[in-house]
Amino acid sequence: MTMHRPKLVRHARYRWDELRGQHQLVFPEGMMVLNESGAAIVRLCDGRPIDELLAALTEMYGGAGCQPASGAEDETGRLATCPTLEDVCEFLQRLAQKGLLRDADS
Amino acid sequence: MTPTPRPLALLCEVTYRCPLQCPYCSNPLQLQRYRQELDTETWQRVLAEAAALGVVQVHFSGGEPLVRRDLPELVRCARRLDLYTHLSTGATLADEAVLERLAAAGLDALQISLLDAGAAENDWLAGRRSFAKKRRAVEIARKLQFPVTLNVVLHRLNLDHLEAILELALQWQVNRLELAHVQYTGWAFRNRAALLPTRVQVERAAEQVADARRRMPHLEIVHVLPDYFQTYPKACLHGWGRAFLTVAPDGAVLPCQTAREIPGLEFPNVQSASLSEIWFAAPVFERFRGTDWMPEPCRSCARRETDFGGCRCQAFLLTGDPAATDPVCHLSPAHQIVELAVREPRPEPVTLQFRGDHDAAENSLHP
Repeated sequence: MTMHRPKLVRHARYRWDELRGQHQLVFPEGMMVLNESGAAIVRLCDGRPIDELLAALTEMYGGAGCQPASGAEDETGRLATCPTLEDVCEFLQRLAQKGLLRDADS
Repeated sequence: MTPTPRPLALLCEVTYRCPLQCPYCSNPLQLQRYRQELDTETWQRVLAEAAALGVVQVHFSGGEPLVRRDLPELVRCARRLDLYTHLSTGATLADEAVLERLAAAGLDALQISLLDAGAAENDWLAGRRSFAKKRRAVEIARKLQFPVTLNVVLHRLNLDHLEAILELALQWQVNRLELAHVQYTGWAFRNRAALLPTRVQVERAAEQVADARRRMPHLEIVHVLPDYFQTYPKACLHGWGRAFLTVAPDGAVLPCQTAREIPGLEFPNVQSASLSEIWFAAPVFERFRGTDWMPEPCRSCARRETDFGGCRCQAFLLTGDPAATDPVCHLSPAHQIVELAVREPRPEPVTLQFRGDHDAAENSLHP
C-alpha cells in the first residue's frame, strides 16, 4: 500500500523535547522517540503529495537527491545522506500500522 | 548509581467528587478525609512545574474531572506548555458545550468509561443512569474529531458480555478500546470476592480479544491482563518514582494514585514544595525507587528491572509489608495467598459495595 498524501492523525503530535534533546511523536498513552530523519519526515506529513514530501526531504538534505543506499549517521548524529525512498515508505508504513498516519486522499 | 530519570507522565486527579459509584473506584476508601481541592492557579503552577520537570503527557482524571468548571482552562494551560493532554471521564457531564470548550482548549485525547455492554447492567454498576449519556458523549466526541478511547474495566460480572462490548466499540466507532481487568486495591479489594473472575472467563476473554484483533484491525485494543492469573507481577508504574507521578485533589504528590493505602508513608504537598524538589528528594519517592529496597527473590532476579517487584500497594494489602515481593509472582514466598484467592470453586458472587462519600452507598438499579 502506498500513501499518496500522508498526514498525521489528529491525536499524534510531534514535539521537540528540549530537556531530553529528543524529537518525539506523542499519542494517547505513548510516544516514539524519532531520529533526525524520522523527525524531518514526520514534520512533512501534513497531507502534501508523497512526491512533494520526497522533494522537500531531498532539499533539506542538501539537494543530493534520495540515494539508493541507506544513509549512515555521521558523528553529529545527523543523517549525512538522505533516507532512500524505501526507507521513507517503510517508516510511513510503520506509522500507519500504529494508527498514527492516514492518507489524506482516502 | 544511575541518575534519577525525569517523569514522563503526570496524573492530575483534580477532584474525588463523582456522580458515579463504581465498585472498583481507585479513589481512597475514606473520601471524606480529602475534601480540600487545589484552586485553578495552583493547578496551573503544578502544570508549569511538571513541564519544566520533563513531563510529556498529562492525564486529567478524578473522580469526575468535569465537575470542575475550570477544566478547559487547565487543558488550555497544559497545551500552552506543549504538554500532551488526556481527559478520563465518566461522561455524564460531557455535553456538547463542554466538549466544544475542551476541543477549543486543545484537548488531545479523550477516554470515556463504560461499565458494561447493556444499558441496565452499566447503570447498575455505575450506581446511576449513565449509559445513554456515555453513548451520546462518544457521538459528540467523534463529531468534534476527538480520538476516543472506550475504557471498560473487566471483572466477573461483565466478562461474559465481552463479545457485546467488542461489538459496541465497533458500532460506536471509537479509536481505541481499553479492556483492563480490575486491579485489586481500594474499593476493588473490598469487592474482590464479587469481582474476581474465574480462570475460564479469563482464558475465554484472551481468545475473544485475539479473535477481535484479527477481525477488526482498525480498532486498537489494549488488553490489560488480570495479574492474579499471571506468572509474574505487572510492571507497576514501570517502577516507583521512575516515569509517573500523581497529584491528588488536595495537592498531595503520590508515586501512584493508590499509594495512600500504604500506611506510614508521608506525602509532600505541592502547596509547600515544588514538583521538582518532591520528585528528586522526597523520601516517599526514594522509598521504592530503583532496586536497592528489594528483598529476595526480587533482588537477584533477572526480571528485577522488567517488573520492578510488582505493585507496592498490592504487596501491602496481601502481606502487610509494602516492601515484599508482589505475591502475584510465582516466586514470591507469599504466593499461596493469591493461589488461594483464585482457587475454585468459589461461592457465588456476594453483594457489591458501591463507592459512596462516607462509606458504601445504596444502589437500587439492580437489573
